[in-house]
Amino acid sequence: MEEVKYLIPEESIDAIMSNVSSLREIENDLRHVFVDHGYLEVLMPSFEYADLYSDMDIGIEEEKMFQYINYEGKRVALRTDFTVPLARMYCAQKETDVKRYCYFGKVYRKEKRHKGRSSEFFQAGIELIGLSGFAGDLECLNIIQQTANYLKLKNIKIEISSAKFYHRLCDIVGDRSFVDILKRRDLSDLKKLTEHKDLPVSLKKLILNLPKSFGDIGMLNKMIETMEDEQLKEALIELKELYEHLDDKKNLSFDLAMTPSMKYYTGVMIKGYSPYSAETIINGGRYDKLMYHFDRNVPAIGFSYDLSHILRALEKEEEGND
Amino acid sequence: MIKIAITKGRIEKQVCQMLQAKGFDMDPIIHKDRELLIETSDGLSMIFAKANDVLTFLEHGIVDVGFVGKDTLEDSDFHDYYEMLDLEIGKCYFAVAAYPEYKDKEFHRRKRIASKYTNVAKKYFNDKHEDVEIIKLEGSVELGPVVGLSDAIVDIVETGSTLKANGLEVIEKISDISTKMIVNKVSLKFKKDEIFALIDALKGEEEDA
Repeated sequence: MEEVKYLIPEESIDAIMSNVSSLREIENDLRHVFVDHGYLEVLMPSFEYADLYSDMDIGIEEEKMFQYINYEGKRVALRTDFTVPLARMYCAQKETDVKRYCYFGKVYRKEKRHKGRSSEFFQAGIELIGLSGFAGDLECLNIIQQTANYLKLKNIKIEISSAKFYHRLCDIVGDRSFVDILKRRDLSDLKKLTEHKDLPVSLKKLILNLPKSFGDIGMLNKMIETMEDEQLKEALIELKELYEHLDDKKNLSFDLAMTPSMKYYTGVMIKGYSPYSAETIINGGRYDKLMYHFDRNVPAIGFSYDLSHILRALEKEEEGND
Repeated sequence: MIKIAITKGRIEKQVCQMLQAKGFDMDPIIHKDRELLIETSDGLSMIFAKANDVLTFLEHGIVDVGFVGKDTLEDSDFHDYYEMLDLEIGKCYFAVAAYPEYKDKEFHRRKRIASKYTNVAKKYFNDKHEDVEIIKLEGSVELGPVVGLSDAIVDIVETGSTLKANGLEVIEKISDISTKMIVNKVSLKFKKDEIFALIDALKGEEEDA
């Protein structure tokens, strides 16, 4: 064992020292806002059955979980996300009311070797379970807007989109390759796809312009004006209404080419970016279909902050290197 | 300022020619010596790297845009970027190649396949429900069958002349390859206009109405 006396395994992360105070400060500021809105802080267990995650197909590959076989011969995984265990808990406790949970803690995902990535991430977030539609969306977005100021990051962008818009688009295009092309925002392949499809000209134009269809409320208004398909239009108007009812609209914009990171997303989808982080710092959305997995029909919405990425972005921002 | 990583060698030459034809100032690059980072008068900051490293730089947000072959993208396990434009240069394809008798030969054992692109090879045979043994070779993969190390190879084919010179032939084409422009997801959000200006320049004459 002598040869690894001073090393940490590659999966590990360096001890955080210089920034612990910033991390705790941010955590406390977030906690205050969450608690003020009636969110109950939950300390979730570190271990879950791996099947809980793999059966649900939430976009986390099997090989990214830290797993072992327990005494029952069942696979047990280190927590890779908070949403699924919280949904499990809500259903296991046979809750029926609106529940507001918040959490702070680490999630664990294996990363590729020698890529300069760590495998443990600090997250903070909320889940608002049982409150459907507009009211829930608005509450969640308002909390994001209120807490985003406490991240101390200067130049953040929060983008929202609609899974309804996305699903309707997929139906209209009716081509299995479309999702993959849209994910890559591949202009060349979109062009090829629309060329051999029998679609109205306005729709072809819409599809070809999707990769650049992100921006402020002006962009959204323009899209609404020119949208011919009623369902697409309706989805966009919902976004606009949400925007108009927000207490604070700062940093908020729209990205109509956003694709759901898990298949359970049904309504608004949320992502946040900092120019100093190559990864998203906010992820969330409405997932009204997730609870089907537990034979329940419960609407829910939630989001999380990736505090590890936020801390690193803060460091870079302080260094001022772009 | 957009930061760009370009795959050294042929892709570097072809992309720079394309940009020059669109009126970009490429002189500092054409006349570069051994520098690895160059800034042009159009506000492009370029680094030159090996194909896989272009992806690594993009993944970490060191660069906003990368120019890299589809072969590298397909063999990599990192896919969290936008693959926005096919430059339609450096066209070639992935193929399985072997001696002609491979086609009709019955194997009563796992076939051995040599390739530099082990992920591509693995996926191809998996899709065919075939279990094969894959051996990684770093270059001159044609040697695999020639020296008797493997039954076939999975490799890039451009003209097929190396295959032919060694008595090998294409058994089956797997997928097309060309040079792609890839974009860091966060960069697109913060440098929209600059990045789309570059895309439009490379896309050619046609304008989005």
